[in-house]
Amino acid sequence: MKTKTLLVTLLASLALTLGACAAAPSEPAADQVNLILGAYTTPREAYGEIIALFQDYWLAETGQTVTFEESYLGSGAQSRAVVEGFEADVVALSLEADINRIQEAGLITHDWKANDYQGIVTSSVVSFAVREGNPLGISDWADLTQPDLEILTPNPNTSGGAMWNILALYGAALRGGVAGVPVDDPAAAFEFLTQVLQNVSVMDKGARDSILNFEMGIGDLAITYENEILVGRQTGQTYERVIPTSTILIQNPVAVVDASVDKHGTREVAEAFVNFLYTPEAQAVFAEHGLRVVNLDVAGQFEEDYPPVEDLFTIDYFGGWEVIMQDIFGEDGIYNQAIALAQGDAR
Amino acid sequence: MKTNIRGWGGWLLLALVVAYVVFLIVAPLTALVQGAFQNGLREAGQSLTAKPFIQALWLSVRIAVAVVAIQAIFGTLTAWVLTRQSFFGKALLNGLLDIPFALSPVVVGYMLLLLFGRNGFLGPLLESLKLQVAFAVPGMFLATLFVSLPFMVREMAPVIARLDLSQEKAAETLGASRWRIFWQVIFPQLKTALIYGMTLTFARALGEFGAVLVIGGGVQGRTETATLYIFRSLDERQHTDAYVAAIVLGAFSVLLVLIADTLKRRRNAD
Repeated sequence: MKTKTLLVTLLASLALTLGACAAAPSEPAADQVNLILGAYTTPREAYGEIIALFQDYWLAETGQTVTFEESYLGSGAQSRAVVEGFEADVVALSLEADINRIQEAGLITHDWKANDYQGIVTSSVVSFAVREGNPLGISDWADLTQPDLEILTPNPNTSGGAMWNILALYGAALRGGVAGVPVDDPAAAFEFLTQVLQNVSVMDKGARDSILNFEMGIGDLAITYENEILVGRQTGQTYERVIPTSTILIQNPVAVVDASVDKHGTREVAEAFVNFLYTPEAQAVFAEHGLRVVNLDVAGQFEEDYPPVEDLFTIDYFGGWEVIMQDIFGEDGIYNQAIALAQGDAR
Repeated sequence: MKTNIRGWGGWLLLALVVAYVVFLIVAPLTALVQGAFQNGLREAGQSLTAKPFIQALWLSVRIAVAVVAIQAIFGTLTAWVLTRQSFFGKALLNGLLDIPFALSPVVVGYMLLLLFGRNGFLGPLLESLKLQVAFAVPGMFLATLFVSLPFMVREMAPVIARLDLSQEKAAETLGASRWRIFWQVIFPQLKTALIYGMTLTFARALGEFGAVLVIGGGVQGRTETATLYIFRSLDERQHTDAYVAAIVLGAFSVLLVLIADTLKRRRNAD
């Protein structure tokens, strides 16, 4: 008989819970508004603090309470999720090409680059994380082809950070930033890219996964965002930052998604949030979390933490994202050819 | 059936099995518990009562309960049809039921995205009905339903196949209605398997990760289940949060399995 009682109780609670599930969510009150943020993985600590600052600001300004729903995925994955129907009001991604994808899907209809900073809210540089004391004496790109070196870099198919890494590596080789690789010699640069890829032991789906695996003791070196290394060190990690002499300036865009804000009626607060990200207050938070900021006054205050790079180049060196997405990351692009070759050799 | 251990071969076998189980189950569990309490009881307590965790756990439980309710009914019906009726394509249907075992949950998530996403086959229809399935709880519910499909059927089918038909015949001869036959003759024999199947389904639903991540997007406070919360906590280096959540989730499942086992044993003893 006991089983029967149990079963009845179970079924009753099922019915109750289902009823609760079916209840429609209540309409938000006028003094409350909800924003959905779809971001890439690495600035999450910074956004956590900036969101709290913005909530205070918006409450004081309008008397409205803003609640946030945050999602952090690899930049490419996040961008595809928005295209597939994730209704983020604001997207903060690793690279412009991932915003362009959303724009091409017709979900961003305004000119998101129309501000003083061309829509770029933070920047960083591709760097190396090496073990404490740099036991292998890594100082520049050329050291990455050492035999038996184990390198971590994420997968460019899902991770924006990974694309930046490949661009930094290939660009440095083309520009003569790699000892032994002649300037402007695409064949030699390709050869160098392949050699480094042969040393890659783990390809994670995002930059954060990659550095966390490095923290777990995997590999000798991680190619990553400078900010990932600095944030890791803030949490007590002992790995060190090595900035190569020639590297790329990572530029992280942010944009309001028109289709979502129009549907949710959140355009005003979404635009205010994006503008807030450029205030000295918010920029300082980014700088405290390892990011090089676009506001020059704030950047000046944090000068010491962010040493200048000898040969810093941008995506313009390659002719912009459209060219990059085709020539480097396209189906028959340089990256796919190199990784096929590198993995073929590994077998 | 128990026999006493005989000779060194028996002892060796016992030692091997104990070492195997300790290595696979006890060692990781110990590490987990130690990790959860390494920063003291206080921090573990804070992790336990953190609002995002409660929200995530509550979402997991709601999805799991709804999934169990559906599977209990449709899983049993499917098992019944597969064992009692013969029809064209039965082998095919039987085979289809095992697909969730074979497919990676991540693939399941992408399949649903291809179906229900903005650019999916059903995307325009859902759009016009103002229904959101992808990146919302309904999609996660469907994904969980998919991955947990075989458990109920595979648990029920052998029991239904073993049912004593003569009892049903006797009840029929005595003039019992079909409804009465089901509740008084058939159901009591299925009860234990039903509860066992529901328990397994619940545990599977609670533990699902890949499919709900892809179809739900892992939005904090909206589509974040307990497993996704653990994943995010690790990403944010909030290790205590992750370990405590993992222990709670694990304890849930272990408790359920224990209940089911007790029921099964009592049933066998009857």
